[in-house]
Amino acid sequence: MGEQELFWVMSPVIVLASLTLLFARKAVYVLAGMIVVMIGLAVFYVTLEAPFLGMIQVIVYTGAIMMLILFVLMLVGVDQKESLRETIRGQRWIALAAATGLVVLIVTTVYRIELPIRDIGGMNDGGNPQVIANALFGEWVLVMEILGLVLISAAVSAIVLTHLPRSGDRRSQAERAEERVRARLNPVNKPMPGVYARRNALDVPAIDPEGKPVPASISRVLKARKQDKDGSEWRAIGKDEAAE
Amino acid sequence: MIPEDTVVDPMYFVVLATILFSIGAVAVLLRRNAIVALLGVELMLNASNLLFVAFARSHRDVSGQALAFFVMVVAAAEVVVGLALIITLFRSRQTISLDEPMDLRG
Amino acid sequence: MTFESPIIEWAPLAPVLIVFAAAVLGIVIETADPKVWIRRRLQVALALVATLAAAATAALQWSVLDGDGTRVVVDRIICDRHSLIWMVMIAVFAALAILLFSSRVGGDDAFAPLAAAAPGSEEEREASEKGLAQTEVFPLALFSVGGMMLFTMVSDTLILFIVLELISLPLYVLVALSRRRRLLSQEAALKYFLMGAFASAVYLFGAALIYGGAFSTSFTIIDTAIVQYHGREALVLVGTVLALVGLLFKLGAVPFHAWTPDAYQGAPTPVTAFMAAATKAAAVAALIRFLYLAVHRFEWEIAPVLWTIAIATMLVGTVAAIVQTDIKRMLAYSSIAHGGFVLVAVTSFEREALSAAVFYMLAYGLATLGAFAVVGQVREVTKDGSLGAEATRLGQWAGLGRRSPWMATAMAVFLLSFAGIPLTAGFIGKYVAFKAAFDSGGWPLVVVAVLAAVVAVFFYVRVIVLMFLTPVPEDLKDAVEVTESTGPSLVVGITALATVLLGVVPSVVLDLASNAAILVP
Repeated sequence: MGEQELFWVMSPVIVLASLTLLFARKAVYVLAGMIVVMIGLAVFYVTLEAPFLGMIQVIVYTGAIMMLILFVLMLVGVDQKESLRETIRGQRWIALAAATGLVVLIVTTVYRIELPIRDIGGMNDGGNPQVIANALFGEWVLVMEILGLVLISAAVSAIVLTHLPRSGDRRSQAERAEERVRARLNPVNKPMPGVYARRNALDVPAIDPEGKPVPASISRVLKARKQDKDGSEWRAIGKDEAAE
Repeated sequence: MIPEDTVVDPMYFVVLATILFSIGAVAVLLRRNAIVALLGVELMLNASNLLFVAFARSHRDVSGQALAFFVMVVAAAEVVVGLALIITLFRSRQTISLDEPMDLRG
Repeated sequence: MTFESPIIEWAPLAPVLIVFAAAVLGIVIETADPKVWIRRRLQVALALVATLAAAATAALQWSVLDGDGTRVVVDRIICDRHSLIWMVMIAVFAALAILLFSSRVGGDDAFAPLAAAAPGSEEEREASEKGLAQTEVFPLALFSVGGMMLFTMVSDTLILFIVLELISLPLYVLVALSRRRRLLSQEAALKYFLMGAFASAVYLFGAALIYGGAFSTSFTIIDTAIVQYHGREALVLVGTVLALVGLLFKLGAVPFHAWTPDAYQGAPTPVTAFMAAATKAAAVAALIRFLYLAVHRFEWEIAPVLWTIAIATMLVGTVAAIVQTDIKRMLAYSSIAHGGFVLVAVTSFEREALSAAVFYMLAYGLATLGAFAVVGQVREVTKDGSLGAEATRLGQWAGLGRRSPWMATAMAVFLLSFAGIPLTAGFIGKYVAFKAAFDSGGWPLVVVAVLAAVVAVFFYVRVIVLMFLTPVPEDLKDAVEVTESTGPSLVVGITALATVLLGVVPSVVLDLASNAAILVP
């Protein structure tokens, strides 16, 4: 496939995927759309004679940054509701008009501009990573050093905001087990969902030796969402079998 | 190396990047979920990166690629700080919506 | 392919390197995790020494500088007299702000003892009882200070972006660390972060367009490219407008000001003082360099935009400040208005404007640091008799002159300087700023500016009347207390003295500033 065909195939995909930012209700869908955008841009970078950046785009952006955001999304709960109610009346239309205006302005600006594509080739002589390394540690080395400071301050900032030092002493596992026995609590682990039941899906409670379901085997989250089952239909010995 | 007539005009990339940039900007301004707004900023930064790479090729100047690399590093740092702030606020308020009654008056 | 090692003049970077080295050393101290009181003293001493040493080094370089400046990296980072005077100013502001950071009022500093603990949680109470302190604020502030000092030397659109992030990232976090009213502080930080990230993304897109049109990110090359590459300068022009958005955001100009009141109100007061004084000075310095070195050939195209923004900024800042009932919010809107006044000078594209902007930001920054230092001293008294949060409602300031004549008098001096009353630094600042604009034919702008300044006098004087002529309300007699702790009192004293001195004998600093009115491309 030629470069031009690739452009016309990939750019609609990227634009459609990025539209999830505006129209998808759930943040997870937006994230999925963004991952498509990132990979699409990586493809463009490779065709634009920047294979190194294409790889970095996949590794750093898709692999690290997007996954980090995904982790936080899971941490704060994927169910966060978002109202699309406007805080300022007409805000939506003002923003859309401004964005459309910018696109029109740029299109009319570049419409008349021709950037000469000067003799293709020559930029990556000696290998693209090598050429970039030369630029990074030659002409731009001071910027690399400033970036080091940026990364330190970002890391320290994140630690300051989120790291809770442990207060009090840490108890060993033996001590904790002893405490549980003293308090006459269940000394062993709770059964996994589905143990001895006919199915082992997450919402099916385990069956105890008497054939009764064990509610404690189901995750609290499923109960809160009312997605758990009482287990009667998944007993090891079902109603009809018992009748036989 | 590559025959010149098959090359995509860099101005097409400018238009594509502007569309992506505008979508990202509108998302930051309109969406009330802090993480989605953060993703909007990411899209804006990526649009600029596409410009840098496309111009680097037409200028035959590898600096443009170095600049795009720098932007990726900065974006990573920015995401770290942004997510840390979001988690902090979530711990205090159990929501990350920018719409909840803010204590701040406009 | 051979590697050419770059040519870098390290010597002029010395002030910046001192600050960065101290910041990194501060992080190392944190990792060694000594006892809280040792850590705190070490960090405060390190930060104070570093900022003062940076100011001294920059001043020394000024005195030994041969010619107008040195090119640290050719076409990208330039150290000239103009950047040196900004560097000294920023370092001094930073040292005063560090004094505020380190001061304790009623045994507590302004920062949360454990920022990661949720407000009102068991962990927070425990941390507070144990007397923990988040001493990372000092290295974080130093990173920001180093970034600001570097900011004044940068002559490259992309390096400007990276340094902008270096300045902003620690600031976003510092805003979130208030000890009292933590939810307000965290919300303000997230809002500030999202708007700041948005503005820098817009700036970056502009820089990318400029790179497309001018084939370079260097200010000097952009300048020549605008003339040489006919047809492509439109790309540079669109890029310039977008890039200006990012810089004007840091300055808090209308319509990019929405973050200012919230961030200023929510942030711990020492951080507010630091942001208002130092960040604004750095933003003005970078704006001047960008406008005067890179895109001054677009003067005809962008001057109307800048004029509109300057007028809107002055009017919105002044009018909104009148209706505020919270002293921190009022000072925030007043700082927006001051951003507009300094823009009046900057938009003239005259050499005079360089020295005017320096003097204006010096006068404004000193008064701001002092004013917020006073704000940090006026405290609510809780029911059990201990000191509570800051009393920022204007009603609580009634009769402050009786409670603490010294603090109230100093506050009056700062407010008069903000208002531009003669014999204060603010008057000279406004005079030179408006004169620069007037001389270049910008008289309509000056008329609006003078009108806005006259209206602004109203709300500054209102606070003074409240402090001195209104009696203390009966129900607030024991509910408000003015503490006079050493650190803030020192800052208030220094800034008040400097404000008056600059107003009475401005010529020394004015001469220095006009010596510094040279930009080396």
